[in-house]
Amino acid sequence: MKLDVRLSPNWLLDLEMREYRPQDAVDFCIIGTGAGGGVLAQRLARFGFSVVALEAGDWHDSERDMVSDEAGSGRLYWNDLRITGGQDPLEFGANNSGRGVGGGTVHYAAFCPRLHPSDFRVRTLDGVAVDWPISYQDLEPYYEDMEREYPVSGPTHFPWGAPHGYPYAPLEAGTAGQMLIKGCQALGIRVVAGGPVAIPSGRVGKRPHCIQRGFCLLGCKVGAKSSTLVSHIPDAIARGAEIRTACMAFEIPLDQAGRVSGVRYYRTLPGGRRIEEEQRAQAVIVAGYAIETPRLLLNSTSERFPDGLANSSGLVGRYLMAQAGPVVWGRFPDLIRQYKSPPACALSEAFCETDAANDFVRGYALQTVAPLPIAMAHLIAEEDGRFGEGLVRAMQDYNHDAAIGVLGEILPDERNTVTIHPTERDRFGIPVPHMRFSLFENDRRMMATGIARARAVLTAAGATETHAVPRYAHLVGTARMGFTPADSVVDRWCRSWDVPNLLVCDGSVLPTQGSANPALTISALAARTSDWLRRAVPAGALTRRPSDPTAVGSDGRRVRAPAGTARRSQSDVRAASAEIVSAGLAEPWVGSTLPSQTRRFGTSQLRHQRSTTESAGVKPIRAVPTRWA
Amino acid sequence: MISDRYPDADVLEQRGHWDDATRQVVLDRVHNVPSFHYFDAQARETLEALCARIIPQDHRPAARRVPIAPWIDDRCASDTGVGFRFDDMPDDATAWTLGLAGLDETAQAVAGARFSLLPPDRQDLVLEAIRQGDPPGDVWRRRVPARRWWIQVALKQISGVYYAHPSAWDEIGFGGPAYPRGYAALNFGAREHWEATEVPDSPPAISGGAAPGAVPS
Repeated sequence: MKLDVRLSPNWLLDLEMREYRPQDAVDFCIIGTGAGGGVLAQRLARFGFSVVALEAGDWHDSERDMVSDEAGSGRLYWNDLRITGGQDPLEFGANNSGRGVGGGTVHYAAFCPRLHPSDFRVRTLDGVAVDWPISYQDLEPYYEDMEREYPVSGPTHFPWGAPHGYPYAPLEAGTAGQMLIKGCQALGIRVVAGGPVAIPSGRVGKRPHCIQRGFCLLGCKVGAKSSTLVSHIPDAIARGAEIRTACMAFEIPLDQAGRVSGVRYYRTLPGGRRIEEEQRAQAVIVAGYAIETPRLLLNSTSERFPDGLANSSGLVGRYLMAQAGPVVWGRFPDLIRQYKSPPACALSEAFCETDAANDFVRGYALQTVAPLPIAMAHLIAEEDGRFGEGLVRAMQDYNHDAAIGVLGEILPDERNTVTIHPTERDRFGIPVPHMRFSLFENDRRMMATGIARARAVLTAAGATETHAVPRYAHLVGTARMGFTPADSVVDRWCRSWDVPNLLVCDGSVLPTQGSANPALTISALAARTSDWLRRAVPAGALTRRPSDPTAVGSDGRRVRAPAGTARRSQSDVRAASAEIVSAGLAEPWVGSTLPSQTRRFGTSQLRHQRSTTESAGVKPIRAVPTRWA
Repeated sequence: MISDRYPDADVLEQRGHWDDATRQVVLDRVHNVPSFHYFDAQARETLEALCARIIPQDHRPAARRVPIAPWIDDRCASDTGVGFRFDDMPDDATAWTLGLAGLDETAQAVAGARFSLLPPDRQDLVLEAIRQGDPPGDVWRRRVPARRWWIQVALKQISGVYYAHPSAWDEIGFGGPAYPRGYAALNFGAREHWEATEVPDSPPAISGGAAPGAVPS
């Protein structure tokens, strides 16, 4: 089908998109098109695999669908029913969910810091939570790739974690951001200005640069802010991937051999009629984020997996993490006008690492935030429930307020969960998720200290009074990756321990979360998993379950996971990724082509039937580099 | 008394500079206020009275007050989801129906009359009891946690409707939509030539903020 989606004022995505028939098994069916799914679709299509990505929402046309209006932007969010509870119940919808092509990246603030090396080793270093089965070094090359491909603006020297620089120059900070910088400087706290934030300080392909409109959180009408909608999905389509919108997955069926056979979903047709379809696939990658991913797995029950697909560990839906996201704001005598400029523009990671002087482990970042009027009113309401003249007058000070977001590391706890509600159903009739979330002592201490620090920074910048509301941002951790089938849901490559041709690749695989906004890490993981799949699929890795590294062999020694596909190819993989960048991502995809070859999947050569609607009009123009074939 | 901090503000005057989609959404909100079709007459009166105490608009001429209650009613009728429900709360529309009944119940207990019939200062006493989280009344004891209802349902939804309106933007000096032209005056709170000038009033009347200087050890 021919697309008709505007991505920026001068970029109409009008590619001919390949369409697959549901009954023909594609190589990969991906569920979700956000930070994980968008990159997976692009990489796997580039590698010559046939790809269908199911998206529950629709396209976001920058002119038609995005508006500079808080109350009018509900279509960006996951608004279907979810139930929330626990001692500190999380709010859902709005800022911590996404719906439509690009997922949450369409409306994120676009802060894109990396995790620190220590974030991968908190069990070893701090005796809490778990270590990751991969290290910072494993992910570092993919961070670099994603920073170029999104791309990300920031300082040439970023001093925290593993020091590094950014490909685009720092963004200009508005007055609100300058208050964070001013306060940190006054207190001798190291701070960086102008990033890391995925708003390129310059033109990228058909994407103009930022106009300082300030509505980043409601979708970028300019197309300047990076999202997978503008950074990776157009290329995915040009390379032959199908993005199938308005498709709500409800079950991943298992075949007799214990492999997944595809994805069942409800598809809403233009006009509103709803049909049920099943996309057949050689392999399925779930990338629905930390709530929908466990929900889908838990709803996919079978004789083999009565407690949910790939859940022999019982860990699907456990260790739900939100990031602490208290908002602290101060009133300044002078005008600030916080609504101008991107809210994401300056940060300090000076307090992210464990500090013996604290009464808690791990830490928090300080970041600029800039609530628009409704968000500000909600903060004031939440602070102390004030109403009437007190509320209206506080809001009249809107232009005198500057805010800081404390982004802190809440540790994973088994008691924070996603389960399936026994009776409630959403509008599709699908059982809904029930989240339970509570803070624990380390979390509370970290948040209190972070809030106090942010108050001090604002005061040092000249605020005459400060206010704070404990809030939360980002959701990760409900299908964690780990070392063994007993301690995790997926292995180091994001592959299910239980089902050989099922992967999970989104925020839910994060074992811990650090104090970094998760989008870049999720995309980096997706790029890494894609590189692995490129080699692992021809080698037959998805035809057998991952070996349990704790299993004991006949000689009494531990059996190591077969090397074959794992770990060996970092440099090779880097070269391939670098080529992707140079081949197209920095420039528009005009004139690029659909790859014509099919790829050997496991042991069988796949043949793809094209549907009758798409076969005409597709002209191969440029082949995928042959070394990838 | 609420003063007019930005007397020249008229953000709607800029609508010719907005993109079509944004202009349509905002103007639709201004000009096409829905009629009531969900709440019964008594609940409607209670809701109107509640809105008037949470966002007092006495300082505006009646014709220029921002309608709030009709949007709450419309939202209850259309059952548009917001993405979640607390597990100790009923669905949104039911929470409104019960909460408004609870408001009248508490008003009877505290002041001896339905909420909408009380003078403003007595209404505020009732709301203060709900804000504190332990108001008298069967609804609050058995059906709806008062504090949760106050923050999540009453305050956030009513303020959400109000601060979506251009008249409220004028009141706080918000520049509003800025696509495609963008913002240019970025530093030190500078004003675009088309933005309103602030006329400072008496010192800020905010209370409840922390004293400056609380530094973590």
